[in-house]
Amino acid sequence: MRPSTSRTAGRPRYLLLLLLACAALARATPARAQLPALEEQAFQQAAALADPSVVRIETVGGLDVVGNLLTATGPTTGAVVSEDGYIITSSFNFASRPASVIVTLSDDRRFPAEVVATDGSKMLTLLKIDEDGLVPLQAVPKSELRVGQWAIALGRTYDNAFPSVSVGIISALDRIWGRAVQTDAKVSPVNYGGPLVDIEGRAIGVLVPLSPQRQEETAGVEWYDGGIGFAIPMEDIYAILDRLKSGEELKPGKLGISFEQMGPLAGQARIDRVRPTSPADEAGLLVDDVITSADGKPVRRIPDLQHILGPKYAGEEISVTVRRGEEEIEVRLTLAAELKPYESGYLGILPTRLPLDKTPEGVEIREILADSPAASAGLQPRDVVTAIGDAQVASAIELLDQVGRMQPGESEAVTYLRGGEEATVEIEFAAIPDTVPESLPTANIPAPEEADGDALPTGRFTATLPGGTEEYWAYVPQQYNPNYAYAMLVWLHPAGDTMEASMMRLWQTHCDRRGIILVGPKAADINNWTPEEAEFVRGAAEQMIELYSIDPARVVVHGHAAGGQFAWHVGFKYRDLFPGIAASAAPLQQPPPDNDPDFRQQLHLLCRESDPSHPLVTQTAQALREQFKFPVTLSVTPEEDGQYLSEESLERLALWLDAIDRI
Amino acid sequence: MQFPSQQREPASTRRLRGAVTFLSATLLLAAVHRELRADPVHNAIETVQQRVVKIYGAGGIANLHAYGTGFLVSSEGHIVTVWSHVLDGDVVTIVLDDGRRYYGKVLGAEPQLDLAVLKIDAENLPHFDLGESTTAGPGARVLGFSNMYEVAVGDEPVSVLRGVVTARTNLTARRGRFEVPYNGPVYIVDAITNNPGAAGGVLTTYDGELLGMIGRELQNTESNTWVNYVMPIQQLADTVEAIISGDFSRTDEPPEENDPRRYRALDFGIILVPDVIYRTPAFIDSVAAGSLAEEVGLRPDDLIVFVNNELVQSIRMLQTQLGRLQAEDDLTLIVRRGNSLVSVTMRVPRKNEE
Repeated sequence: MRPSTSRTAGRPRYLLLLLLACAALARATPARAQLPALEEQAFQQAAALADPSVVRIETVGGLDVVGNLLTATGPTTGAVVSEDGYIITSSFNFASRPASVIVTLSDDRRFPAEVVATDGSKMLTLLKIDEDGLVPLQAVPKSELRVGQWAIALGRTYDNAFPSVSVGIISALDRIWGRAVQTDAKVSPVNYGGPLVDIEGRAIGVLVPLSPQRQEETAGVEWYDGGIGFAIPMEDIYAILDRLKSGEELKPGKLGISFEQMGPLAGQARIDRVRPTSPADEAGLLVDDVITSADGKPVRRIPDLQHILGPKYAGEEISVTVRRGEEEIEVRLTLAAELKPYESGYLGILPTRLPLDKTPEGVEIREILADSPAASAGLQPRDVVTAIGDAQVASAIELLDQVGRMQPGESEAVTYLRGGEEATVEIEFAAIPDTVPESLPTANIPAPEEADGDALPTGRFTATLPGGTEEYWAYVPQQYNPNYAYAMLVWLHPAGDTMEASMMRLWQTHCDRRGIILVGPKAADINNWTPEEAEFVRGAAEQMIELYSIDPARVVVHGHAAGGQFAWHVGFKYRDLFPGIAASAAPLQQPPPDNDPDFRQQLHLLCRESDPSHPLVTQTAQALREQFKFPVTLSVTPEEDGQYLSEESLERLALWLDAIDRI
Repeated sequence: MQFPSQQREPASTRRLRGAVTFLSATLLLAAVHRELRADPVHNAIETVQQRVVKIYGAGGIANLHAYGTGFLVSSEGHIVTVWSHVLDGDVVTIVLDDGRRYYGKVLGAEPQLDLAVLKIDAENLPHFDLGESTTAGPGARVLGFSNMYEVAVGDEPVSVLRGVVTARTNLTARRGRFEVPYNGPVYIVDAITNNPGAAGGVLTTYDGELLGMIGRELQNTESNTWVNYVMPIQQLADTVEAIISGDFSRTDEPPEENDPRRYRALDFGIILVPDVIYRTPAFIDSVAAGSLAEEVGLRPDDLIVFVNNELVQSIRMLQTQLGRLQAEDDLTLIVRRGNSLVSVTMRVPRKNEE
């Protein structure tokens, strides 16, 4: 299958031979369509030319699930970038942090490989094997690339004898904020890390999964084989190769500012927030400054700025010009790899859960939580908070938005009504405590006044999504009263058992007492949640929210063991839907997203002391709390036997859930 | 890349721009059009479409579609397709490309090959000659023909996709989740050929020469991705001929030894590190004195990466591989020791039967 000349012949002569061969072939078989046949030959020759530079990469050990994905355990592809054994590949291949890496060359020789460095911006990993005389890829100069030209994606995962081939064109240049070339050739875990070559077998780039919106190793994988693939230009890779060879870890450079609105239609770059201690903060940029140019290029709208920052690494210096009032100010700053995480403020109250037919005017306090700023300031139950500083708050959502944007330690005047009298008190906000309230009176929901003829089902029932076959079960308290908002616990079962019966037994009383609706999606394969099923879980949750009165501030995704892992994934993926994640016996195996005041999420980790995951769960809780500043509570119980939760931890979980609307 | 199929109609827009432009454009297009008519690819598509049929049968509930694709292999109505639930019903309806409808009966099936042969009562049908099939390598341009998503109805011919052969390989379907009995060599294609109802369609070269039969919708066990595979016709031809000639007896499924667990690492004197996570790497913790492992020089901290040329990514996979061994087999281990790979071979010992 492999033309024997491909290794030895120089390209010019080789191409000439190829053309002659094609001409001869065309004459010999006049029935064959000439152009398609010539092109077909050219595809195969291009693949043959790049063949010696395309290697197979296999990994041993490592995590099984990374983020949403059951990680590929199969081989992936790499591309030779130097004669002395350096191989570049997609970081996707290393998302599961394998213990050992084996490289197989095109001539079937195998070598152990070391990970030298990674590029966290272009999502590349550099490997080194102990071997000389390899054939590095030749780069196509970026200036020669044109949209519409042939682009051939090569991999080495199916069969070592010849690279796998998928043919497409270059669909776009300068994609993903200037980082990548886009192609419609089929790109998937099968050829991530392999080269995208032109019709002459020169490397356009190296295939990686990327997403314009997200950053982690597995971002963009959902587009596999979909006609949207990306490759990091080979010229850019060679430009950073020496830095990677020296072991330097390259990371995307961050400024430390955010804007009110992102997305393709975002307008001028008016700064909405400046992270404390970030490069922007240290350079003196302020909220409401409008960025007008960066790195010498004009910034008319936010995407312009993203284009300029996209290819920049941490440690690089750029100039930024802002308009502040009438003034133009230019600053120079050094981009940072990490920003200090954001931490939400906390007042220490639980809002009253009003019947839905009542319009709130301010936020009535249901409970004052112990040892909180609200308690110290003397606020009392039934007080109605109406303003934080100058901002009026009419509902709990508005209050949370204001308080969530406060930093612990900041002070602000809080205005409230007590018995009709308005009063104001200066309060210093704290951080959300890492404890669950000791006890909490239940907020009673009265039984509905009259039985409705076509009322929604209550009790335990099973449902499916419209047009889907995936099934979920649910429990709605028998006394369900649509005029009150309920909490919702979305239960993700562990591998092999939906635990429907035992969940009912354990949770029914809590559900009835505290007004919780229980929803249990079932994995299509009971032994395994697949990444795609996140969509189904969201669908089930949204269907219940549409049908029943559910408080959006009290929707929690909860899972045990493998279901707990999946709960992390689902919870972090749909941050707007799940203000809480409760993971039992499931340490976090992926870097969490940044804590974001726009999506306040509280996390509850549970574990038995005897569980093998206990040390990792404790570490997870500590890291989430200290490094990422998430509001985290940890519940470890000493019981020896039993699979799921002890009664004590169950009680604590129910309390946590009942207090999740704390502000 | 597009197939020239329809003449474009530029005249109406170009007329306004002047007679000269109009005239030259018309002449040019007429020339192009003549060329297209003679295009062998165009002819090949027409020829192949006449040989591909739409199949309707059981299904229609849950995610099981009630339609499929097949192709004619004789002038008297023998049709090859995949062995699937569509054929489970009492009646299988076949619709030819020109809209003629027949009831088909299942003549025979070979579940091991995922293959079934149907027969309709008709004569002088256009058909593929199984003796004249061909093969193709990676990069070869191919066409896929099938009634995917039941798009073609009545006298509409089946849909055509174009792509290239990505690879020739052995199928590794996801065991236990999407089981397919067929595990022989396949073509992997870079077009999304394996859609609902596409199984039983054909893959051909640009000349219309038959390469193989499009398989089911399937996930690759190794990469967790959907895989578009095609069974080479050479793998199926003998069985198809045997079914047609009537001297075929279907092979019963071989008794599946599910994880026989005949041997464990300890049987060779290898003591592994504790298997604590789902994918614990197979590091050797210690080597029993006087054991086979000691004899061949295995050492603590060696990482076992290949067993008889199969990559083992975890202790679980290692134990599965060892479990399949038989006494007197050769066992070749490749271990990673420091920064090198070391290969050792042992003879599998006889075990004392209980």
